[in-house]
Amino acid sequence: MNIFQSSKSFKQAFWGATLLSVVIASIGVFVIFFGERYHLRLVYAAYVNLLVVLGLQVFMGNTNITNLSHSAFMGLGAYIAAICVTPIQIKKLSLPDAPWGLNAFELDALSSALISLTLTGFLAFLTGLVIVRLSGIGATIVTIAILVIVHSIFMHRTDIFKGKQAFFGIPQVFDLSSIIMISIFVIFVARFFRESKWGIQLRASSDDEKSADAMGVNIFKLRLVAWTLGGLILALSGICYAYYLGTISARPFYFSHVFLTLAMLILGGMRSITGAVIGTILITFGLEGVRFMETGPTILGLKFPEMLGLSGIALGAVIVIIMVVRNGGLVGNFEIEQLFIKTRKKI
Amino acid sequence: MIDYVVQQSLNALSFGAEYALIALGLAIVFSIMGLVNFAHGEVIAIGGYSMMVMAAIAFRNPIIIIVGAIFASVIMAVFLERIAFRPVRYADATTGLLTAFGVSLILQNLFLLLVSPRPIAVTSMYFLDWPIKLGSIRISSLQIFETVATLIAILFLVLFLKRSFLGIAMRAASLDFEMVRLMGIRANRVIATAFAISGLLAGIAAIFIIARRGAVDPTLGFNPVLKAFVACVVGGFGSLSGAVLGGFLLGALEVGMLVILPQSYGGMKDAFVFAVIAIILVWRPEGILSPQKEKGDKI
Repeated sequence: MNIFQSSKSFKQAFWGATLLSVVIASIGVFVIFFGERYHLRLVYAAYVNLLVVLGLQVFMGNTNITNLSHSAFMGLGAYIAAICVTPIQIKKLSLPDAPWGLNAFELDALSSALISLTLTGFLAFLTGLVIVRLSGIGATIVTIAILVIVHSIFMHRTDIFKGKQAFFGIPQVFDLSSIIMISIFVIFVARFFRESKWGIQLRASSDDEKSADAMGVNIFKLRLVAWTLGGLILALSGICYAYYLGTISARPFYFSHVFLTLAMLILGGMRSITGAVIGTILITFGLEGVRFMETGPTILGLKFPEMLGLSGIALGAVIVIIMVVRNGGLVGNFEIEQLFIKTRKKI
Repeated sequence: MIDYVVQQSLNALSFGAEYALIALGLAIVFSIMGLVNFAHGEVIAIGGYSMMVMAAIAFRNPIIIIVGAIFASVIMAVFLERIAFRPVRYADATTGLLTAFGVSLILQNLFLLLVSPRPIAVTSMYFLDWPIKLGSIRISSLQIFETVATLIAILFLVLFLKRSFLGIAMRAASLDFEMVRLMGIRANRVIATAFAISGLLAGIAAIFIIARRGAVDPTLGFNPVLKAFVACVVGGFGSLSGAVLGGFLLGALEVGMLVILPQSYGGMKDAFVFAVIAIILVWRPEGILSPQKEKGDKI
């Protein structure tokens, strides 16, 4: 195992990822057997968000640079796959003015996904060349710039992306069991990256850039690797989103989704994969409760008023409280296998 | 042709003045405590909502409304510092940034919940806006007021920072906060003053934004602050002159884009502006006028 510092870190990564996969898979299987149809949709969306949070964790968790462009990369992945896979007849109808013959071809689901991953990965690589050279706030502002630029392109080029309107007619390729498999795969990827020597060096550089540099860590290169890997995972999440819902529009790939997934990552603790998974689960279930309250339900004979905006307040409160009380998130550096395997010492 | 150039330059100046005003509010807080205050937009929105409330309880006098709005913004800024930003004062920049995002999210949704998700008309500031004709150049009085108010605000800020005791303490704090505290100056007071000034600037900005838009909604401040944040970073984060420079640069850039881009690309203005900003940051990663600071200098 060349990419790991020691066989011990490989073992840890492997068991940690396996345990998380068991948790994730059992929730999914439970829903498949006992959930109703509309539950399936909600849970599928939660899995997509889990993929986004993991993609975000790969860069943000290891480098400690706030990234706000993740929804843009998810959107790119979704739209590119959607444009490739949608049948010609539907595209002739929905995109009559598409340039470059975009409405004159169709591909099977697998090649569309591969094209989407390649293109989005390449874009991530290009933007990464810029991002890795900046530090802290400068890097964050460039990620915001990416988000705004991509969103304006989605909104403005209605001949390709349909803007605010729905891009419809995407065949349904995935179901809940396929996204469970993909989530497990991504959990392994993210966890192995975290425990690999690159991940360790990156986290060292985020703790103390100067010392890591002096020890010979190639910070720019490693950040670029993390950024591109994150971009690929985000593209994958976008593909999963498009391949299930059948219609996409530009609106969900903007600030509200950015904040939602950011809150998930922060709540659990962005430095650990376990944290990312826990945060996603807690916020998903929590928000469902809050949304129920938002509609003004009647509980025990008490009629509650309709409270629009409650979910936003809850998300904001989660972010602020975690930042003030425990800024490493709920679990900090902890990973799930530490419940079972003895580690040398706590860091 | 000359008229057209003058006309567009005046437009750029008034756009830039608004960004500079907001960017200054961000920069003054950042220079002292390293906090990127994204909740600044909601302080502006509070200014707007306070005008709505005052107009509703039948204050006719515009002076009262203006003073009241500025006062509300100042109170809000100081209040936010006390409850949300004091606990993360010594944390790293990422923690502060995320806290500010959270605060911004909470306030936006509070407005949505307590007031209305829809824009509400506030017409009390319309009196500031009337068309002026100079030869063949047509501008609005609001543009002049805005530019002049920004210049006056900058002037007073410079006077305050150079002459007053607290101002000097604040400038010292931006260089070495620990040292200022060792000199026996209260940290809380310096930081509260910084927030009060940023609230004051936000209140002034709110008046002009409301005068132009005539309505207030929960995201009133979000987009202007996003732009002002960009202005700050481009000018050099933490540098006050950088914030002003960045603001006017951004104004010029926006108007320039509107002039250059064909009509059909009007919706892409923001994309082009942000692309130019990204290029500037690649060229100078710390911004144009960033304070010179060795990395790892301050712990």
